[in-house]
Amino acid sequence: MTAEAQGVGPSTEPMDLQALIETIPALVVCALADGSAEFANRAWHEYTGCSSQELTGWGWHATIHRDDLPKLIQEWTVATAAGKPFETEARVRRADSEYKWFAIRKALAVSRDQAGEPSLRTLIACEDIHERKQAQENLQQSEQRWQTAFENSAIGIMMRDRGDRFLAANRAFRNMLGYTELELYQLRSIDVTYEEDRELNEELIEELREGKRQHFEMEKRYRRKDGRLVWVRNNVTLVPGTGGVAPFLFTIVEDITERKKEESERCYIEQRYRVMVETASDAVVCIDERGAILLANPATTKVFGYDAADLIGKPLTVLMPEYLRKLHEDGLRRYSATGQRHINWQGTELTGLRKNGQEFPVEISFGELTVDGHRIFTGFVRDISERKQAEELRASLHATQLELAQVSRLTTMGELAASIAHEVNQPLTAVTNNANACLRLLARHNLEPEVLRRALEEIVGDGSRASAVIARIRAFIKKASTEKSELDINEVIQEVLALARRELSENRVLLEPQLTKALPPVLADRVQLQQVLLNLIMNGIEAMTAITDRPRTLWVQSRVDESGDVMVTVRDSGSGLGSEGDRVFTPFFTTKANGMGMGLSISRSLVESHGGRLWATPNSPHGAIFSFTLPAAARSPL
Amino acid sequence: MTQPPVVFVVDDDPSVRSSLKFLMSSVGLQVESFDSADALLQRKLPDAPSCLVLDVRLRGLSGLDFQRELAARNCHMPIIFITGHGDIPMSVRAMKAGAVEFLTKPFRDQDLLDAVRIALEKDRERRERKKEVSDLKERFNSLTPREQKVISMVVAGMLNKQIADQLGTAENTVKVHRSRAMEKMRAQSVAELVKMIDKLESSMKS
Repeated sequence: MTAEAQGVGPSTEPMDLQALIETIPALVVCALADGSAEFANRAWHEYTGCSSQELTGWGWHATIHRDDLPKLIQEWTVATAAGKPFETEARVRRADSEYKWFAIRKALAVSRDQAGEPSLRTLIACEDIHERKQAQENLQQSEQRWQTAFENSAIGIMMRDRGDRFLAANRAFRNMLGYTELELYQLRSIDVTYEEDRELNEELIEELREGKRQHFEMEKRYRRKDGRLVWVRNNVTLVPGTGGVAPFLFTIVEDITERKKEESERCYIEQRYRVMVETASDAVVCIDERGAILLANPATTKVFGYDAADLIGKPLTVLMPEYLRKLHEDGLRRYSATGQRHINWQGTELTGLRKNGQEFPVEISFGELTVDGHRIFTGFVRDISERKQAEELRASLHATQLELAQVSRLTTMGELAASIAHEVNQPLTAVTNNANACLRLLARHNLEPEVLRRALEEIVGDGSRASAVIARIRAFIKKASTEKSELDINEVIQEVLALARRELSENRVLLEPQLTKALPPVLADRVQLQQVLLNLIMNGIEAMTAITDRPRTLWVQSRVDESGDVMVTVRDSGSGLGSEGDRVFTPFFTTKANGMGMGLSISRSLVESHGGRLWATPNSPHGAIFSFTLPAAARSPL
Repeated sequence: MTQPPVVFVVDDDPSVRSSLKFLMSSVGLQVESFDSADALLQRKLPDAPSCLVLDVRLRGLSGLDFQRELAARNCHMPIIFITGHGDIPMSVRAMKAGAVEFLTKPFRDQDLLDAVRIALEKDRERRERKKEVSDLKERFNSLTPREQKVISMVVAGMLNKQIADQLGTAENTVKVHRSRAMEKMRAQSVAELVKMIDKLESSMKS
């Protein structure tokens, strides 16, 4: 081609061809048969911005995009050799260096020179197809994007024909089921659907086919190739046919196995909790912030006698005796306002009220939950009547034991007293007899000095004998009547509280133990310590029997005081000491109708004999505080 | 008539024992004291009005057991109990068994002396009664069997004739037996004789 072009050489432009190409609505280059350009029309020059000189020969190739030129040359050569028409697409550079797509064809034309001799010329016409080409490319890109999106979507997507055969399935779907693309195309969707879900699935698809619905959603299970089940949520749409495309089913498949698992776990847990609450033997009652009952389980009926449904909306206070109601209301209000709890939330012992008016002991635990900004309190109420009875039985057994201990001690004291009487009476009798005999003899003036001397000697002897007996007994009492051992004061307090339990509950006294753990032991006589504590507690209870305008509360506290002694405080909200103050410790002083007035006096002596102190102070705003201290064992004087 | 009265004291406490002896001696009583019941039982009791001052609580035999023991030996000496710590059941038991008094130490000396006087008087009466019965018995035994028979029929209220008929003898014979028997019995009248036989019979019964 190059040799040919060179061989021809430039010649004068044949005016007729020149005129012709100006009429063609395209960029036209007139070239020799080998493709070397001679001239071009104005449209070409204007588009490319190239001069005639830049054009001539092979210069016009420079306007073809570098990537498109080899193809163009090759196709040109092939077409020329085969004598076929040439047509290709290539980008042509515009004057502003922008390339645009053109369809490039060639046609043969006859040119006549000035002599009128005809010669063959090639016309190269470039038709602007840029927009079409662009649209085509866009389409391709779009399709590519769709394809890529389809394939790479994290969500499963599949299409099947109306006969349920797979047309396409993306990777997510294939992975979900564990099948390869080829394997899937052999199957119908229903084949991989879990047996139990098939019927419903087919019904829904049938409705789609019949036009009863445009799409549906369904949660179902697929059986994977490996046999395992996978939960999916399918969104199925019937895509109507367009053009040559038959209608098909378009399905978006979401793997919800995890969610299902969580759901079923949550469901299981909820179920379990519900079963627990429903079958619990404890009454479970939920209340709102105002104390109104929101929910009550079936056990509530058993425990309280109310139909659980009847309780809804009622105040919780219907389940408690009158004297606890205000306490509860105040406590709940205070807690709502300040977060301060008025009772221990775990296992507080209180009194419940049955529908039939019967009061019974309960153990209550509370839980709190905030739902949508509202507080819900759940109470677990256990009927501890039986336990209490057992405890009381045990306590009364214990009390019996304690009484026995007391009785045996008293018996010993009684025997001791008898023994004292006998031992002391003997010398006393002798003394009296001797003295009387002397008096009688004296009256008859018959008392010999020798006789008198003997009698007086005997009297003196018997007198000393009597005091020796008393000294011996005193020593015996001192040694035998107290058995001191190292004691945990809290243990002794618990024992005595068990003894006093019946009195506490019968007198509706709320007990508030405040026992400090791990106190140092005290060296004391257990029975005597029990006597002191029991005495103080019973006094406290008795002091509150007349109180009706406020809760009857008894606080029993143990702790270590500033000087390291173990200190026990019994505080009541009763009538208080009034002006009597210190006189309570005087023997035979009493404010009680049937008291002997010995309790506090004896208690003080007992405490003092242990190296401690016992005193009373007024409680604020009501009642009295009785406190005693005992030295910690290590420092106890022995 | 008889020997002077004696007070026996049994107490294991030497002081009490000697003081009791001193006290009772001071009012002129004759006192013998023992430290145990056994020691008393060793002694031959004198034929004189006597009583026993006995401590309930003794070593060995207790006072109450000793009371029973004496009764079993047919010794009816009145007993005054003294005790350091008497209780009601104990005193009831003692009194039922015939105790004169139950005194709790220390007692008023007059109470003891009064009790002793009463006891001695009681014993003296008992002894007199006993002496009378034994006299009667002696007299009765001195009667011939025929006289005894006749007397018993007289006491039963039968007339001489009836007695004679029943014995198959003469009325005069009965009269002789009767007067001789009355003489032997030292009875002044039939009424006195009836009393005597009564006493004899009741002592036999008891």
